[in-house]
Amino acid sequence: VEPVDPKAALLSRIREALGNRVERRRRDSSAAPDVPHAGPGAGPAGVARFRERLEAAGGTVLEGPGLDPLLPALAEALRREGVASLLCPENDGQARTVAEALVPFGPFAIAGEGEVRQAAPPVTAGIQSAESAVAETGTIVQTSRGGRTLLPGLLTDVHVALLPPDAVVPRLEDALGGLADDPPRAVSLITGPSRTVDIEATPAAGVHGPRKVIAVITP
Amino acid sequence: MTDPRPHAFSRSAESALADPDLQAALSCAIPRLLERRRAAVAADPGFEEARDAASRIKAEVLDDLDLHLERFIAEAGKRGAKIHAARDGAQARDIAAGIAREEGITLAVKGKSTVAGEIGLNPALEAAGVSVVESDLGEYIVRLAGENPSHIVASAVHKTREQVARLFNVVLGEPYTEEIPALVGIARRRLREKFFAAGMGITGANFLCADTGSVAIVTNGGNGRIAATLPRVHLVIASIDKVIPRLADLPLFLRLLARSATGQPLSSYVSVLTGPRRPGDAEGPEKLHIVLVDNGRSAILQGKYRDILACIRCGACLNVCPVYRSIGGHAYGWVYPGPMGSVLSPLLLGLPDAAPLPDASTLCGACAEVCPVRIPLPDMLLALRSDARAQGLRTPGEVLGSKLYAGAMARAGVLEALQRIAGIVSQLLWRNKAIGWLPWPFSGWTARRDFPAPAPQPFRRLWKKQRGIGPWNR
Repeated sequence: VEPVDPKAALLSRIREALGNRVERRRRDSSAAPDVPHAGPGAGPAGVARFRERLEAAGGTVLEGPGLDPLLPALAEALRREGVASLLCPENDGQARTVAEALVPFGPFAIAGEGEVRQAAPPVTAGIQSAESAVAETGTIVQTSRGGRTLLPGLLTDVHVALLPPDAVVPRLEDALGGLADDPPRAVSLITGPSRTVDIEATPAAGVHGPRKVIAVITP
Repeated sequence: MTDPRPHAFSRSAESALADPDLQAALSCAIPRLLERRRAAVAADPGFEEARDAASRIKAEVLDDLDLHLERFIAEAGKRGAKIHAARDGAQARDIAAGIAREEGITLAVKGKSTVAGEIGLNPALEAAGVSVVESDLGEYIVRLAGENPSHIVASAVHKTREQVARLFNVVLGEPYTEEIPALVGIARRRLREKFFAAGMGITGANFLCADTGSVAIVTNGGNGRIAATLPRVHLVIASIDKVIPRLADLPLFLRLLARSATGQPLSSYVSVLTGPRRPGDAEGPEKLHIVLVDNGRSAILQGKYRDILACIRCGACLNVCPVYRSIGGHAYGWVYPGPMGSVLSPLLLGLPDAAPLPDASTLCGACAEVCPVRIPLPDMLLALRSDARAQGLRTPGEVLGSKLYAGAMARAGVLEALQRIAGIVSQLLWRNKAIGWLPWPFSGWTARRDFPAPAPQPFRRLWKKQRGIGPWNR
């Protein structure tokens, strides 16, 4: 007789199909092995690898000894995309500093969340401190930890991720491995702009999210 | 999804071959997908080892699926997700419609989910008063055309850009443009308002991590993460075979999936979601419902086809298959086309309802060569063919033919005698050229292409003459 609870019934059907053998009761299967890979480890080589991979995925990397020398290039990149407003999370002091420093460089206004949460928003760049980045794949990592928002990289036209060089880890395992004990509600791995190959397998950017992703790497 | 109709395979394949738009779309898109995969695999020194590891982990999961699923249910539940289990499509539809009713949903945005197509989710929700808007661009296009997806990754791979342009012009009333960025921009604008208005986001799951109760969703557009972030309710439809043991195993599978599906080192957006919105979170759904769909999979676990449940839905076997590349996905008659579909569909629908599918293969082996989890697809297709015969699904003529063939192939003397006769007849009738016409039941072959005339001397005789050696005269 099958249990009444649908979940118990599901498990019981599976057990029956597998033969109810006692000897197969082992909980943990073998761990994923460390497979060969091309990526260098951490440090400057890791940053170089991150840059190469993100650029290959259609992203842009600005790298410098400090923020000030990068501002003109960043502002130029935003102007080229027609950016009119800048969005940064309330609780992200660094992002706000960058946004405020950008304002004199162009016709940019600092916008609130409400402005991107509409059907026809102004062309917006979302600025945000990234939590880490992965050299192997050129991936920017954002999580929901500490009340962080995904919004600057979710609905905007341009996503600017601020990143210190020591936040670049070699592999995906390094970014995800430590999360299992206390996983945040949302982890977002972002590798280049929002992309589609749905029409004639031809890549096109910006189908839902940002059409441009810029990683700004400064100590 | 309309009712499954794999039994119409022959007729559907005929019309697919005669459809110039389909042929143009396939010959444009498929080589691009293949070339991207080839380059990505060539650039990855660990690809073969990763395939071995993934294949082993998947086999271990399936051997202990009850334990891994139990763990997933417990962990996801502990973190606030509401887990539902559905024995079949009807139960899954009822659960989804019940959730929509309970939450007062009238509009839902949906990411690409093949299992949702399998269970007929959209019509059930529409019947329950919920408008369902597809947010994956390929699915959006296919819905506008009133069609079904033809590929498990690139839903609209059967459409040319001109066809998409006409759809956007005629159905949406947008100005006619064949520029792909402009078409993408139209979809972005149209879908953006739906994301804000929707009360529920519906997605599939690429992987379920048992040790954390996390759902991993992979997209390139980013629609999955918007659907899982903005609406008040997130509904995940996942088949039970999506579970992997650990969050730490995810990178291995993500690499294989992205390289095999689209030739990327990693898909543009991967979301790993664990439970609903927590106190202090900036955003996220208040409720997370996960529907675990069996629909015949627990029965597959029992037999020799267990490994098909290791499939990660990358679509590489479709792209590489000479049959799929010639006819596209619709001819297969259901949500799962190509080699993986020709195995899975008969197992889920029952062989009598999908009998032509295992025959829709040349057994060339290309699918097994690319499968990232090393599913022995050609062996399974062959086994299904023999099941079909055992179940009496072959005509007496087919049974007799295969018996005669097997008898000749098993006896070297008989085979050689037949080859000699065929060689003499061939010399008399066709002078060793191609055969352009044969009577029924072989007319099916010669209607489309020539049959090579048998050689006057069989190979084995030539070999014996020239080399004078061989296992037969040792």
